[in-house]
Amino acid sequence: MYIWEAFKVAIESILSNKLRTFLTMLGIIIGIASVITIVSLGAGGQKAILGEFEKIGVNVFSIKMRNDVDIREGDRLTLRDVEMIRKRLPSVKYAAPVAEKMGLAKTEKYTKRALFIGTDFDYGNISSLKVIHGRFLNEKDILLGRNVILIDKDSAIELFGYEDCVGKSIKIGTYYYFDTAKIIGVIDSGNLKSLGGSIADQIPIIAAIPITYAQKIFPDINISQIYVMTYDQSQLEEASSQAVRLIESLHHNKDKYKTENLISFLEEFNRILGIFTTVIGAIAGISLLVGGIGIMNIMLVSVTERTKEIGIRKAVGARRKDIMIQFLIESVTISLIGGAIGILLGYLLANIVGPFIDIKPIISINAILIAFFFSTAVGIFFGIYPAQKAAKLDPIVALRYE
Amino acid sequence: MVELEGIKKVYSLGKVQVEALKGVSLKIDKGEYVAIVGPSGSGKSTLMNIIGLLDRPTAGSYKLNGVEVSTLSDDQLAYLRNRQIGFVFQSFNLLHRLNALANVELPMLYAKIPSRERRERALKALEIVGLSDRIYHKPNELSGGQQQRVAIARAIVMNPSFLLADEPTGNLDTASSIEIMKIFHQLNEAGTTIIMVTHEQDIANHAKRIVRLRDGLIVEDSLVSNRITY
Repeated sequence: MYIWEAFKVAIESILSNKLRTFLTMLGIIIGIASVITIVSLGAGGQKAILGEFEKIGVNVFSIKMRNDVDIREGDRLTLRDVEMIRKRLPSVKYAAPVAEKMGLAKTEKYTKRALFIGTDFDYGNISSLKVIHGRFLNEKDILLGRNVILIDKDSAIELFGYEDCVGKSIKIGTYYYFDTAKIIGVIDSGNLKSLGGSIADQIPIIAAIPITYAQKIFPDINISQIYVMTYDQSQLEEASSQAVRLIESLHHNKDKYKTENLISFLEEFNRILGIFTTVIGAIAGISLLVGGIGIMNIMLVSVTERTKEIGIRKAVGARRKDIMIQFLIESVTISLIGGAIGILLGYLLANIVGPFIDIKPIISINAILIAFFFSTAVGIFFGIYPAQKAAKLDPIVALRYE
Repeated sequence: MVELEGIKKVYSLGKVQVEALKGVSLKIDKGEYVAIVGPSGSGKSTLMNIIGLLDRPTAGSYKLNGVEVSTLSDDQLAYLRNRQIGFVFQSFNLLHRLNALANVELPMLYAKIPSRERRERALKALEIVGLSDRIYHKPNELSGGQQQRVAIARAIVMNPSFLLADEPTGNLDTASSIEIMKIFHQLNEAGTTIIMVTHEQDIANHAKRIVRLRDGLIVEDSLVSNRITY
C-alpha cells in the first residue's frame, strides 16, 4: 500500500518538474535505445544469415588449394578427386567440382560478360540454385561434355526478352573463340540484379555449364574447389579431414589443401557480431553510467528542495525506511520511464534503420526485460545515496529549513 | 501522562557548551491544557522538541504513558510521534502539493491505515475543524487560519495522547487566532490534552495552566485564574 502512495508522490514530483526530469532521463533513454536498436538489428541480421545458410545447408564443406604454398601442376584438383570422394567416403552424400571463368555470351543482338561455372550434376543438390525452367545438368551432360548451359533469369530476360528461353542457343567463349551452347534451364537470379540502375549492367550473366564442356572451351580452366555435402552436420569435421587425406594420397603430396565450411564462417560471423555487440554494450554502459549520475544529481537537488517536506513527514511519523523508499521509488520511476522511452525509441530506430541495411529487426522479450532490469538497477544504484541522505535528515533541522 | 524528571539538554557549539535545559521536571496529566511560556532563549523550544520526541535529552528521564522514551531509536520515536503526538506548528507545515484531505491523511499513511478508512477519518477531522467545504483545496488556496485548521485536523486524526502546538497563532491575525483558540478550547473540552508553547501572554491565558521557563529552568507553574474561555 505504501509503495503505491510513494509511487504517486514520485509521479507528482516528476510532473511538477517535467523538463528537468526529461533532461535527466536523456542518458538512460540514449543508453537503452542504442542497446535495443543494436541488439534487435543484430538478432535480425543473424536470423537472416542463418536462414541463408540453412538454404545452402550447413552440412556442406569445400576443399580448396591453400594459397600460401607453392602449387605444382600435379597438385591441382581433378575430376578424379571428385569421383574418389564420392566413392570412397561413406559419409559423403554429394560432391561437385567448381571451376569459374569470366567470358562472354553472345546472342544475335547482344554480347554480355558472363561468369561461367563449370560443375556437375551434384552441384544442383548442394548449392541453393533454383532451376525455374528446364532442368539442371545431368550425368550424361558431364560424361559426354555436352554443349549445354543454364543461365540466370534476369539475363534471360535481358538477352531474349522473356524468362523461359529453354531450347534457345547462345554463343559462349572468350574474345577469340566461341562455341554454341544450348540452353537447357533457367535459374533464379536471387536478388543480385534487383539492385537496379547502373549496377545491374555491371553484373554478368551467371551461367552453369558441364565441367567437361568447360574444359573443352576454356583449356586453361582449373577446378578451384570441390563442394562436398555430408549426410549429417555431425560428419562435417571428420569428412573434411578424410577428404583432404584422400586427395593428398591421390596426388602424393601433403599440406596443400584446406577445407572451409559454413559452420566456421558462421562462427566467425558470430564472433564479429559478438565484438560489435560488446562495443555497443560498452557505449551503452557509459551512457547508462552518465544517465545514472544525472539521476543521482537531480535526486540530490530534489532532496535539498524538499528538506522541509521530509521534516514534516518525519514529524507526523515517517520512519527512515519510509523516506528512503519514497526517494528510491522516485529515482527508479525516473529511470524506468527513461528505459521505457528508450525501448520505444530503440524499436523505432531499428525499424527505420533496418530497411536501409536490408535487415528485419527482431525485438526480443529478453532484450526488453534486460533493458528494464538495467534501468531499474541504475535507478536503485544511483538513487540510494540521495535517498539515504534524505532518510538521515534530522527532523528538527529539516523542519526549520526554509 | 507526560513525566519529565531532571531533563537537561546541552548543545555543543564548537568549543562552547550551551546548556539549554538545566534540569526540568514536569508532569502533565490527561485532559490538561498547558501553556509553556517564556522569552526567547528560555529553552521552551528545546523543551517542546523533547516533549514532541523530535529530540533526545542529554540527561534525565522522560516517561510517556509510563514508558521511558529518552533512549529509544529514531524509528521507535517516529512510531510514537505518529501515534501519540499531534503537532501544530507556527508555519502550519502542510505539504504544498497535497490538498487538505491528503494532508490530513498523511499520518495515517505512515500508520498503514487502509485508504478507505483514511479518507473517512480525514473527512471527520476536517469536519471537527469546520473545513468540510475545503477538502480539495491546496494550502495556497486557503487562508492562514484555514491552513492552521487543516494542520489541527492532521494533528488530531490519529487520536494522539496530546496535541503539541508551537506558537500556533504566531503567523495569524487576531480574528484567525481567536478561531484557532476556539477550536483548541472545544478539543480540550472534548477531552484532548493540549500542550502549547507561546510567548504571547493572552494566548497563554486560554490554557488552564501556565508553565514559565527562564534560562532553562521552570520559574513558575500555576493555574490560570483569569482564563479566557468561549
